[in-house]
Amino acid sequence: MKNISKILFLLLLFASCKKDELKQNNDFPLEIPKGFPKPFIPENNQPTAERIEFGKKLFFDPILSRDSTISCSSCHFTDKKFTDGLAISIGIDNRLGIRNAPTLLNVAYLPTMFWDGGVPNLEQQVLAPIESHFEMDFNLPDVVKRLNTIEEYKTLSLKAYNQLPSIFSITRAIACFERTLYTGKSKYDDFTYYNNKNAFSDAELRGMELFFGEEGDCFHCHGTFLFTDNSFQNNGIYEFYSDSGRARITLNQDDVGLFKVPSLRNCEKTAPYMHDGSFETLEEVIEHYNSGGKNHPNQSSILRPLFLSQKDKSDLVAFLKTLTDEK
Amino acid sequence: MKKIKSLSTLLLAIVLFITSCKKEETAIESTKQVLGFHWHSMIGSEDASYGIQFTTNDGIKFKISDWRYYVSNFVLIKDDGTEYPITDKVFLIDIANEDYSLDSVPVGNYRGFKFTVGLDSATNHKDPTLNPASSPLALQSPSIHWSWNSGYIFMKIEGKYDSTVAQIGGASINQPFFFHVGTDNLKQVIDYSDEPFTVESGEDKMLHIEMDFLKILNSVDLKTENATHTGDNLPLATKISNNWKTAFTLE
Repeated sequence: MKNISKILFLLLLFASCKKDELKQNNDFPLEIPKGFPKPFIPENNQPTAERIEFGKKLFFDPILSRDSTISCSSCHFTDKKFTDGLAISIGIDNRLGIRNAPTLLNVAYLPTMFWDGGVPNLEQQVLAPIESHFEMDFNLPDVVKRLNTIEEYKTLSLKAYNQLPSIFSITRAIACFERTLYTGKSKYDDFTYYNNKNAFSDAELRGMELFFGEEGDCFHCHGTFLFTDNSFQNNGIYEFYSDSGRARITLNQDDVGLFKVPSLRNCEKTAPYMHDGSFETLEEVIEHYNSGGKNHPNQSSILRPLFLSQKDKSDLVAFLKTLTDEK
Repeated sequence: MKKIKSLSTLLLAIVLFITSCKKEETAIESTKQVLGFHWHSMIGSEDASYGIQFTTNDGIKFKISDWRYYVSNFVLIKDDGTEYPITDKVFLIDIANEDYSLDSVPVGNYRGFKFTVGLDSATNHKDPTLNPASSPLALQSPSIHWSWNSGYIFMKIEGKYDSTVAQIGGASINQPFFFHVGTDNLKQVIDYSDEPFTVESGEDKMLHIEMDFLKILNSVDLKTENATHTGDNLPLATKISNNWKTAFTLE
């Protein structure tokens, strides 16, 4: 009898330990905007204050680049909605990259990373800019060695992941920090989720109707609370693509010139536009969609000449500017 | 009380069962021997090594600075024709190392074996950050993984060649070449299922495999076909992958 109680006691102890661990992780409050669902977070990387602190420090530290000159924040500025305002981003030794830096706001909701969707989650995404010759031109085992010479990083990693800085802890920490970045307090959200029906001007209201109607037809790809469906589309900006886009991953000719549909939230503040930053203004973007595209063989069948009036176009721009989060 | 008694009996039975299982396992272990490979990397008839000048069959002088590749999914073919797969064993072959231990396998006669150059799709796309640093599938320095499309480079060969007509070698070996060949479709099965061998009791078995770089270059003109990351030059990557099938020799 005594033995059995002992076993039972041990079992209970074990169970209670487990519960405690989960409780600590799941209860960390992420500031998710009103109306937004809870993002998927991997079981092995539930947010804690220690993990976010470790990741935030790494994000802003140029230590991740080979010559310690650039950090994640060199292409994802906090005051530029986590973009860099450049057509093509610039890495170490002033090396020109290949694409436009996307925003990191609401990145927790993305099912794939990068314009071509080549990486399935934030944790693995961390590897790419560190290893890219055009960006940080470094290497994960070497990053690990470097961080293990710094007491502060050793302490941060131990506290956050119960291990010294490792490829595991570095990639988890940065992803954990990035899952704290949201945008959802725009005039549009005020109108939609806070039910302030007087928030919009007539032009903005009309622009919204065009956006979500067949006339402007933006919503097929830029619907949902994220203003993207995260699909891959050839939006017809070229007859010939020097960047093969999604085909770089799939090696399928039908995917040449397809890029992931980006979110339009904060688009007023995230110029220039497209995977290569080739459009400088929202007016140019709308003019392009109005034209119906350049008819690449893979061009999305949704594109067609829209015959929008000048007022239609300016009302659409007015609506797009309601997606700006002034926070 | 009766319940408790039967419970204790059950516990005792379980403990006995586990111990007896273990004993049986040990019995099997003693009829197993380690199977390993001597993996020779060659440039034609010469041993491959880094930084040494070699010559292609077309007379082009070159040096290699990195030549590593993944082999996996070893399957032994037993004497009765059944397959004996060695799961979860991956080698990252580096020409600087020759000895690779596969596993403890049952002693006896085998009809042959086969393996894959590259990785199966599931292994290829697993999150590489989850591997312990000691694993061949951990991220390496220099890297042999594409972080932008989450897959491994199955074979990475880098070096420099002499692009001049004179082919005097030495300092004129200064033009880079690189073959980064990967993606699921380009893995190759190397089939030695009709190459019998015996694993004898009391003696570890070593199989000897040769891999010849000049055979990888079969019908590749190094002067014009010298760069591929697979996706950006799929015809060259495909040609190299096809050449793997004939680049190995079982000694």
